[in-house]
Amino acid sequence: MQRRSFLRGIGMAAAASAVVSPTIVMAAPKGGNAMSIDAAIKAVTGGKAVTKSAKVKLKAPEIAENGAVVPVTVTVDSPMTDADYVKAIHVFASKNGNVRCADVMLTPANGKAMFAARIKLGTSQDVVALVETSSGEFLSASQNVKVTIGGCG
Amino acid sequence: MAKRKSLIKVKPKKYKTGEVVKVSFMVMHPMATGTSKNKKTGKLIPAHYVNEVQFLFNGKPFTTMKTWESLSSNPVFTINFKVPGKGELKVVYKDNQGEVNESTKKIKPKG
Repeated sequence: MQRRSFLRGIGMAAAASAVVSPTIVMAAPKGGNAMSIDAAIKAVTGGKAVTKSAKVKLKAPEIAENGAVVPVTVTVDSPMTDADYVKAIHVFASKNGNVRCADVMLTPANGKAMFAARIKLGTSQDVVALVETSSGEFLSASQNVKVTIGGCG
Repeated sequence: MAKRKSLIKVKPKKYKTGEVVKVSFMVMHPMATGTSKNKKTGKLIPAHYVNEVQFLFNGKPFTTMKTWESLSSNPVFTINFKVPGKGELKVVYKDNQGEVNESTKKIKPKG
């Protein structure tokens, strides 16, 4: 074998393994929870339409240096009365091994619809907030977060 | 079972009845995903994460959360709460290895 083609082959193999191996680790099924973002959203909504809304505000850093600690805040513009309130806030991380982060069931006693927590992100990905209102509507907001150092593993 | 350190914070510190306050609940928890390895032994660390958090006021639940391993270690959960009056705020949390713990804080509105 000629040296040039041989080296090229090695380089390709190394690049391929470097690209493939982390995705395999992150995508490995863990129990019954592992599913794609679309499947997870469908499981929550039951097939209902999801509309993107400016009422839902998702606050997350655009660039996260450390993927192990990414602060995420979801606020929803809602009066939070007995007639009209936010029933649930769901937070998803689209490319994590388990896309579901948290489901928060709220009641009018909360006063304002807000949820904040710190989540782990494996790679750069979209963080999605799905909000269920008392009238059965589903609203969503998403933001891309660039992660310099992954937080899974 | 060793009790986990946990803390409930209410912000702002002084509040009145009917005001909306921020309630943060922190717990010292490893939140292991089950995919990382112990560097010394090379064995996988089993998944260990908080999977249920419930906020109660005077025994009545007002917010329940289901959580998964994607939350950071030592998680902080922040929500809003409209203070209805004097009482006791209680947070009960469970994890996937069967630990159940709780932490309480007295709510004393001024005025």
